[in-house]
Amino acid sequence: MGVFVFLPLVLPLTAWPVARLAEHHLHPRTATRVLTSVAGVMALCSTLCLALLMVVGTAQLPGNPLPDAWSDPEVRAAVPYYEVAGKAAIPALLAVCAACARTLWRHARVRLRGRRALEGLPGTSVAVLPDDAPYAYALPARDGGRVVVTTGMLNRLAAPERRALFAHERAHLTARHHRHLLVTQLAARANPFLRPLRTSVAFTAERWADEAAARAVRDRRVVARAIGRAALVSRGAPAPALAGFATPGPVPRRVAALLAPAPAARTRPSLFTAVGLALWCAAFGTVVSAMSSANSAVTMVLILRAATPL
Amino acid sequence: MEHHDKREERRPRLRRRAQGELEQQVLAALHAARGPVSAAWVQERIGGDLAYTTVMTILTRLLAKDVVTRERAGRSFAWTSASDEAGLAAFRMRKVLDGESDREAVLASFVTTLTPDDEQLLRELLGRAGAETDD
Repeated sequence: MGVFVFLPLVLPLTAWPVARLAEHHLHPRTATRVLTSVAGVMALCSTLCLALLMVVGTAQLPGNPLPDAWSDPEVRAAVPYYEVAGKAAIPALLAVCAACARTLWRHARVRLRGRRALEGLPGTSVAVLPDDAPYAYALPARDGGRVVVTTGMLNRLAAPERRALFAHERAHLTARHHRHLLVTQLAARANPFLRPLRTSVAFTAERWADEAAARAVRDRRVVARAIGRAALVSRGAPAPALAGFATPGPVPRRVAALLAPAPAARTRPSLFTAVGLALWCAAFGTVVSAMSSANSAVTMVLILRAATPL
Repeated sequence: MEHHDKREERRPRLRRRAQGELEQQVLAALHAARGPVSAAWVQERIGGDLAYTTVMTILTRLLAKDVVTRERAGRSFAWTSASDEAGLAAFRMRKVLDGESDREAVLASFVTTLTPDDEQLLRELLGRAGAETDD
């Protein structure tokens, strides 16, 4: 098992370069899918290794639930005996489980409360709410979900821009972007090193929907204008930003991307570009992560089986 | 034993839905009324075995939500609907959005908040886009 059990805990670092570059260089659809899969696999491996470390850790606890033979000196000789790591893994794993459960619960609660709020309205695919506050979003549900938009938002957009808005939100629903968002959120909870992927996927999912809307209304500028106007009218309290460090936020970057030509959906980026290199680096990290955790898991099962007198 | 547990579990959910439905019924009744009406009128209009106090409770709750208004009429109040069912839905949705700090994770909203720098940049971008197409 050795050092392999620790690798998946730090290998998410290999995903950082691609998280940055994918936003600019990959087609948003590809970027969202790649980053979500990388985040999901790495989070699973990291959690598995944490669990394995915890098994080692519990062997050190008095009255552990594992087989009696488990804490025998021979087993301790076979398993690298990281006393501190084993014991630290117990609260870490508990924290990960609690954070993930909390995320799942909140996700379900937002969806449930959103659906309840719309009870009593006709069950159309678009729910228009009489409210001056301009906002619009996609409320996911099993049967496809609904687009929720206020009259405040619609009144401030021209007719083609409204079509762009609806196309954008429908793209979120049909591509089930909430699942990507949920996976990366859980991943970020499982391993803090995966947080940049969550931010990136939140952005690329929006870009994906923007591109889908641009195709639906056949005019990239209309979508850009819709986003720009919606953002300008819905600015409430200014978002907290560190002056000086402020890089352009997601909205200007989306608008700028829409004013530029449509991204090409290239399937396989070359190894010799920066983004290709970063992508292969992330893929390599993911594979090594999966192999290390598989290796550690197999080792652990073999040792446990040897230690159990069954 | 198991059967009993199940019923215990389901009861709170049923009750909550019933409350929401009652609010809808009361609102629908107020909406149907032309002008301010008394709580007794609402009770009669809804029918069923709804107690007067229940109607009053619901009306008071709706008043707190700014969905209905009331004015003094002699010794009691006259109630008016301030909004229809869509208005009530809008009100509830606002409450959901205000109450959830991490709603962004679930509801991919169309736009996010802007920093002052973002706003400046966005205006420039839109100005450039507008200059090329409009006018």
